[in-house]
Amino acid sequence: MAEIKLANITKRWGSFVGVQSFDLTIEDKEFLVLLGPSGCGKTTTMRMIAGLEDPTEGEIHIGDRVVNDLDPKDRDVAMVFQSYGLYPNMDVYENIRFPLKVRKVEGDHDAMVRRAAEMVELTEFLHRKPAALSGGQRQRVALARAIVRQPQVFLMDEPLSNLDAKLRVSTRAQLKNLSHELQVTTIYVTHDQIEAMTLADRVVVMEKGIVQQVGTPTEIYDNPANTFVASFIGSPAMNLMEGQIEGGVFRCDHVEIGGLDTAHSGPAILGFRAEDAAVAPDGAGQITAPIYSLELLGDAVMVTVRTGGALVAVKADKDYRANIGDPVSFSVPASICHLFDQGSGERLAR
Amino acid sequence: MKTKTFIMFVGPSVFLMFLFIAAPLVSVFLQSFQVTQGVFEEVIETKCTPGFPAQICTEEASVRRVLDDDGNPVSQTSWVGLDTYRTVLDPDAVSAAFDEGGSGWSQLMTIDFYKALRFTLTFTLITLPLVIGTGLAIALAVNRCVESLKGPVIFVSLLPFIITPVIGALSIRWLFIGDGIMTALLENWTGQDIAMFAQGWTIELLMLFYRVWHVAPFAFVIFYAALQTVNQDTLESAIIDGASRWQRLKYVVIPHLMPLIIFVALIHLMDCYRVFEEIIGFSSQAHVISLQWLTFDYLTPDDSGNRAISRAAANSMLTMIGIVILLIPLLRRTYRDHKNSSH
Repeated sequence: MAEIKLANITKRWGSFVGVQSFDLTIEDKEFLVLLGPSGCGKTTTMRMIAGLEDPTEGEIHIGDRVVNDLDPKDRDVAMVFQSYGLYPNMDVYENIRFPLKVRKVEGDHDAMVRRAAEMVELTEFLHRKPAALSGGQRQRVALARAIVRQPQVFLMDEPLSNLDAKLRVSTRAQLKNLSHELQVTTIYVTHDQIEAMTLADRVVVMEKGIVQQVGTPTEIYDNPANTFVASFIGSPAMNLMEGQIEGGVFRCDHVEIGGLDTAHSGPAILGFRAEDAAVAPDGAGQITAPIYSLELLGDAVMVTVRTGGALVAVKADKDYRANIGDPVSFSVPASICHLFDQGSGERLAR
Repeated sequence: MKTKTFIMFVGPSVFLMFLFIAAPLVSVFLQSFQVTQGVFEEVIETKCTPGFPAQICTEEASVRRVLDDDGNPVSQTSWVGLDTYRTVLDPDAVSAAFDEGGSGWSQLMTIDFYKALRFTLTFTLITLPLVIGTGLAIALAVNRCVESLKGPVIFVSLLPFIITPVIGALSIRWLFIGDGIMTALLENWTGQDIAMFAQGWTIELLMLFYRVWHVAPFAFVIFYAALQTVNQDTLESAIIDGASRWQRLKYVVIPHLMPLIIFVALIHLMDCYRVFEEIIGFSSQAHVISLQWLTFDYLTPDDSGNRAISRAAANSMLTMIGIVILLIPLLRRTYRDHKNSSH
């Protein structure tokens, strides 16, 4: 098992910057998730760790070795790809055995393959070709192939993206269990914040090649470092409203929230999560505006109003009923509010 | 698609295929069991001297072609069964060659059909792996080539395929014949007199070289196109799994290309078994002949204007049977792959 250290990693193609000055130490046995939208540099970072891309600058350490100049096969990493990367001409057994065969690993290959297959519940499919497997089964073959030679590091590039929603949930649970069982340093790339929140020990949120925030899922959810992280994490995204702060009171169209713990004065962005606020039944909330839309979610009703140039949503009780255009009032206590600088989008100090 | 639409769509194509492929094939098949000969009749003519002191008359028999009412020679076709095949294959001469007193292989090679079959098979089976190997090697090299060089390299690689076969063969012949540039260079290099066209095996070498040079670009184009569709994730998986360049070629690239390798092999076998241009281009008839050339030779009128059409037909049928036998393993593999992939 190994610690991974990324020291000032940068990747450029001509003038285009893929990853900018990425500094991070990933602890031994840690499950780290790189999270961000498409093109944010998360896959490039992983490919640099795997050795499939060379960093333009910086050093990559795996364990006590600098691996920049090592071939991928010498880095002792295993990788699971989004489109599985299986060998279509080989059956499941041969797919799982392939790394052992080409590396001429000593030992009982048959026992190793069967143990790996058992861990991902593939024993009964060992003699099928990948074409005869479902998407979930194929991804489990890719997982078994990764774990069969017990590498120091697992790299997983959006492994669940090609699966349907239901299968994704069950495979995610399987991954979590596998990670707990194997205790191997894992780097996992995804654009799905739910995967990140459920699987990660720590999450790295990236945008345009730059790390926006590193923290545990709870830290990132509860204390987003900037408006990008605030809007990217959570479903629905955090409500963000532009307005003015004067004397600890935030004001904008239809909104007046007082008692904010800040010395800031002037333009600012105020954010709060839909599930933290509530509909004020007596109409005495901090936001009062006509209803823009009502969405029945089953366990709740999402009530949305338009204010401060943005749509602001709050989760109401599942029995809440009203009509579009009816006035509604939201209770938004200062304790659930996050303040961000309107220019940079960075979190304002309290 | 509705049955009627389907029939209207493929009907003209099926009709033309029948007219220009199936019908001639059936015709050749039937002709191989028939012999068509001119009808001759014996005419007895009485010729007499002028008659002094006594007229002497003699009767002379002569054979002449029967003509129809319009003055055209009359022909008659008769069913001869497998006689023509017996003539071409000459089983008596074959057994004589291997009987006691016969000289075996060398005697067998004096029979036109076996001489042609030997060269055709050698030519086909040697060029097949060379064409596939060379085509794949060029495709892999071009695929790894710097982007800016790819265009010119592809153009140069395709040139041999663009050149007309007979012209290409003649060019190679002129390079090596007599005191051609290449012969002069080789003589200069080895210090020996070299006559590339004085014996059969050197001519065969040149023919093999020419065919590989001419056809490898076709294999290259096919393989190069297929290389663009190799799954990059699979290739990168193999890199991470620890596969060397050779192992990636063996376990990822070649299996991906296999259907096209079989396609190229099928095309090449069919084309190569009908080798003809090289025989003409290299004027090799005195040393080596091919089955296709033998058919051509049967169809060439002899001094009295006769053509051995039934022998040409039988030889064509035997050539076709040879091609089918060579294709069977490849077709079986294609069928098996298709069957496996559909499950």
